[in-house]
Amino acid sequence: MELKDMKLRDMRKALDSKEISAKELAESYLDRIKKYDGEIKSYITVTEELAYEQAEKAQEIIDKGEAKALTGIPVAIKDNICTQGVRTTCASRILENFIPPYDATVMEKLNSQNIVMLGKTSMDEFAMGGSTQTSAFAKTVNPYNKGCVPGGSSGGSAAAVSARLAPVALGTDTGGSIRQPASFCGITGIKPTYSRVSRFGLVAFASSLDQIGTMALSAEDCGILLNAICGFDMHDGTSSREAVPDFTAKIGENMKGVKIALPKEYFAEGIDDEVRQSVLAAAEQYRAMGAELIECSMPSLKYAVSCYYLLACAEAASNLSRYDGIKYGHRTERQCDSYEELIVRSRSEGFGDEVKRRILLGNYCLSSGYYDAYYRKALALRQLVRKEYNDIFEKCDMILTPTAPTVAYSPEKTADPVSMYQADICTVTVNIAGLPAISTTCGYDKNGMPIGMSLIGKKFAEQDIIKAASAFEQGFTPVLPRM
Amino acid sequence: MDMEMVKYLADLSKLEFSDEKLGETAQQMTSIIELMDTVKEIDVTYDAYKDNHDVFLPELRTDSVIPSMETAKIVSNAKSSDNCFVVPKVVE
Repeated sequence: MELKDMKLRDMRKALDSKEISAKELAESYLDRIKKYDGEIKSYITVTEELAYEQAEKAQEIIDKGEAKALTGIPVAIKDNICTQGVRTTCASRILENFIPPYDATVMEKLNSQNIVMLGKTSMDEFAMGGSTQTSAFAKTVNPYNKGCVPGGSSGGSAAAVSARLAPVALGTDTGGSIRQPASFCGITGIKPTYSRVSRFGLVAFASSLDQIGTMALSAEDCGILLNAICGFDMHDGTSSREAVPDFTAKIGENMKGVKIALPKEYFAEGIDDEVRQSVLAAAEQYRAMGAELIECSMPSLKYAVSCYYLLACAEAASNLSRYDGIKYGHRTERQCDSYEELIVRSRSEGFGDEVKRRILLGNYCLSSGYYDAYYRKALALRQLVRKEYNDIFEKCDMILTPTAPTVAYSPEKTADPVSMYQADICTVTVNIAGLPAISTTCGYDKNGMPIGMSLIGKKFAEQDIIKAASAFEQGFTPVLPRM
Repeated sequence: MDMEMVKYLADLSKLEFSDEKLGETAQQMTSIIELMDTVKEIDVTYDAYKDNHDVFLPELRTDSVIPSMETAKIVSNAKSSDNCFVVPKVVE
């Protein structure tokens, strides 16, 4: 098997048996990045020198027989996760030259296992988008069809894994930003339960919805990387003390008797026929494995996109008020006569159009006269969405839906903000309810573009959805981009 | 959403738009607000107790002085002088 197609368990064996060295493994990916990333544009920053230093250190640990699960494993990191000493831009001009003076908790955890960081991947600016076309530095393309978007906002991480420019990657998911690009790029991505992974050092978009997760070529690899980043962190006030199990422990258990619900609203008008048929065919495969399929309903889905955007933008408007051009980030070069002018000019030059729109929307729905009609209503809807999920989970173990209404599309289709928002319909309720969900490829459309399905689990039931995704993957032959 | 509202929101948001961009933004924001208006169709009431009851509060830390990030690191991404942030003169 070629190095680029290896899964983590095989990589671990090859490293521990000295079949390959950590340096050779890093080199194989860095060479592929040099060869292909000029076209794919999945990375904003490639950390070649650091990767070789880390590979050398990892090799010393491997040689001592003290390797952990990820020692010497190359990993790509989404560029909204703070990496000490390595530029972290959030794909925004406002953070173009920002070098974090500290590591995010997830980076401390990964570095404690001596991973090899390949670089920082592109994304929609401040994770606001579903196409990676709002990135100020690298408008990533889809490795399956370079005329299509990779999805977003973790489009760089998804494309890097799909094109085998990294074996695994970290992404973040506020409204589907791991699952939708995983679907578009034909890979697997998991958004864990809200609070599972510390958000300390993650550049904030919407704090009650943001969650760091993992992206890989398989559910098992997502689980292995997830094992390394979960756990309580005193630096994140929302961090959970829930015990962290081995997320791969249930892989291989059969699906007999597992109850899978299919909410009818997720298969209704607005979902492409090929997507619907592919996900329903996957449901039938689960039935053939012994699972029980249950039809259910989620009436609040009709309001989910509006609810999500009101909550997310309100939080974003508040979170992004910290960018003033003074403490860090872009500062206008123009002569300013006042403190106010410095702030307004720095922000106006630094933020892109989509970020500005979301700040305006957030401040609109928080303004006097609009707060009750919009923001408070969205808070009420969040409670309704949670209740509907609780009701469904009384009768089932997990929920199966399409990950996105369509396969990847051309960048021209991203011009209309409203249609882009509406395209998030399949993913946002998971964030609203704080649940875990995994997307894996379940088929390809007539043009060979990947179709993703999502398995949504109960709170802290990542093991169950990883098991189910993996069970499907065992009988599915993925067609990866030829590179 | 009219231009006056966009100007008001821009002011609240500490942003400025050119006249051309203001018109385009007003148009886009009108469509976005139309989408947001769907929340008005449903009669639901927010129960603040439910959310706050659910919030997980980790144990509070001991209130003690511990080493924090050094000033040089804090100002490392800013225009600074003598370990202080530099801003335009605000007091005559």
